[in-house]
Amino acid sequence: MAARTLLRRALPSMRSASSLRQSSPFSSSTLLQSRAASSSSSSPSSSSSAIPDYAIPDPSRPTHFGYETVTEAEKIERVAGVFTSVAESYDRMNDLMSFGWHRIWKDHFVASLNPGFSPLTSGPDPRAPQHILDIAGGTGDIGFRMLHTAHTLNGNPDVRVTISDINPAMLTVGKQRSTQLPASQQAALSFVEANAEDLTRTKPLSSTSTTATATDSHNTSSIPSNSIDLYTVAFGIRNFSNIPAALREAHRVLKPGGVFACLEFSKVDKHPLLNTLYKSWSFGAIPLIGQLVAGDRDSYQYLVESIERFPSQEAFRDMIVDAGFIVGGDGFEDLTGGVAAIHKGMKPRV
Amino acid sequence: MRPQALSRTAASAAAGASWLLTPRAAWTRTPAATPSTSSSITSTSTTTRRAQPNLIQPTSRAYHAYTHPAPPPPFSPIETAILSAAYTHVPTHGFSRTSLALGARSAGYLDISTNLLPDGVFSLIKYHLLSQRELLSTTPLPPSPPLSSRVELLTFTRLLANAPVLPHLQSALAIMAQPSYIPTSLAELAVLADEILYLAGDVAVDPTWYTKRASLSAIYAASELFMTNDSSTGFRDTRAFLGRRLGEAEELGGAVRSVGEWVGFNAKAGVNVLRSWGAPI
Repeated sequence: MAARTLLRRALPSMRSASSLRQSSPFSSSTLLQSRAASSSSSSPSSSSSAIPDYAIPDPSRPTHFGYETVTEAEKIERVAGVFTSVAESYDRMNDLMSFGWHRIWKDHFVASLNPGFSPLTSGPDPRAPQHILDIAGGTGDIGFRMLHTAHTLNGNPDVRVTISDINPAMLTVGKQRSTQLPASQQAALSFVEANAEDLTRTKPLSSTSTTATATDSHNTSSIPSNSIDLYTVAFGIRNFSNIPAALREAHRVLKPGGVFACLEFSKVDKHPLLNTLYKSWSFGAIPLIGQLVAGDRDSYQYLVESIERFPSQEAFRDMIVDAGFIVGGDGFEDLTGGVAAIHKGMKPRV
Repeated sequence: MRPQALSRTAASAAAGASWLLTPRAAWTRTPAATPSTSSSITSTSTTTRRAQPNLIQPTSRAYHAYTHPAPPPPFSPIETAILSAAYTHVPTHGFSRTSLALGARSAGYLDISTNLLPDGVFSLIKYHLLSQRELLSTTPLPPSPPLSSRVELLTFTRLLANAPVLPHLQSALAIMAQPSYIPTSLAELAVLADEILYLAGDVAVDPTWYTKRASLSAIYAASELFMTNDSSTGFRDTRAFLGRRLGEAEELGGAVRSVGEWVGFNAKAGVNVLRSWGAPI
């Protein structure tokens, strides 16, 4: 500890990278904190019934896109542009940018959630089917791991996974990759196109599979309230235009006792030396790799800027609590010193 | 921060929801008056830990304090509900995810809800350690005998509390020895030693405060290890082992004191001899 403070004193330039964030405050989180301070007495259950203004999507409200300020509607469009552009090379780029380490994070994320784990007891089978909703799960990285853990490791075939993404290009990549899975796992998998801020309107990916929604003339269906056991979002939530709205939507679809779990890039401020390395890698090398490999510098510039603009572990934890979840312990777990972090929250029983 | 913390503690103490510190909350309490208020493990408080999201408070402290507010309870009411239900499954299923899932089920939650507990299985072990330590304050103690026998009685009572989960104690110790859990485990051991000495009525505030706690921690850990292989009736052998270790510690303490006295006397005499020779000391 003493060594760390000495180091911090000796290398003041390291902190310049982290001060970038402070000069451009995250709009909704500052709003959130002032709200939380003014109405700290409101209980989680009451806050979920009366939705505060900042958690209602508004296409004209300003939000951030990397270091730029845009409206929420514009952000949806531009994020769509980014991911349509990178969908093909997404997995290869992830490996290059993180030296393959993102696989470790994702494996740990899924293993710690342990989906499908359901011990048998004497008497009738006590296991209830589990429904997992993987938001922003386009290429299936998390969804496939969930299925593997649940079906193969935990031997529980009663686990369904719905992979949802706002971007059909990413979903198409995931759908193609899913053909490699065992048939039983493919049967438990479904792909829907949806905006995470409004899960009442979802569209199945391919237009051929109309059987699921044949009753609905507009070919859309809703994810009902209190229907999901586990809601996961990995490396997606920072691209949402209205994070509080998405968190409240997660709260709505989850069953009481259901778990919200989020894997996302976070802050390394606790480790100044690692932070310096990390910042110079992400701002120096990642856009360059993007340019060379994917032929798209701007998308990867956006990627690193959006990571920088995402709130800290504590601030995001408070946003989760504000949406009505309860968290255990600190509410988050740092991975690789905070380069990524896992946040978990449980929807309380009313 | 301090006034808020104070008022919160006062409120929770008034509601009987203080998780750990029932004996510490009262100023006038004498250690001999052991029968405690009803154990507060089954907390009925409705306050959630995150009522003030930005207020991070320490969740444990390694010593008793009269003049500082008690730290907030280590588990939220929902965590306590899941853990206490899971704890009833430990004798059958051990400190495992199975116990946790069964506990979540009987508390009315889903199998997946165990993800609320940040440390998983270790949370269950921590619950065992904390709840058994808290129950120590209900041990009836004879009013008169010397400190050492009260310490022995309390330590053995704590060891006996491991009996229902004894077949799984070795696996619990293995989990506690995992690098990321070692600090918490050691801190809990230190608090246990402090609790035992406090309840036994030790009021010494000289350097033996440290040596007593350190030696009792070591003795407790050794006795616990001994107990995992003890098959004698009523853990007679463990009690004998514990008695021998405590006796040795006392002898050793006496020897160290004697050596210290001898060294101190001679050093002082030496300085005085030098002074008598005119050395400017």
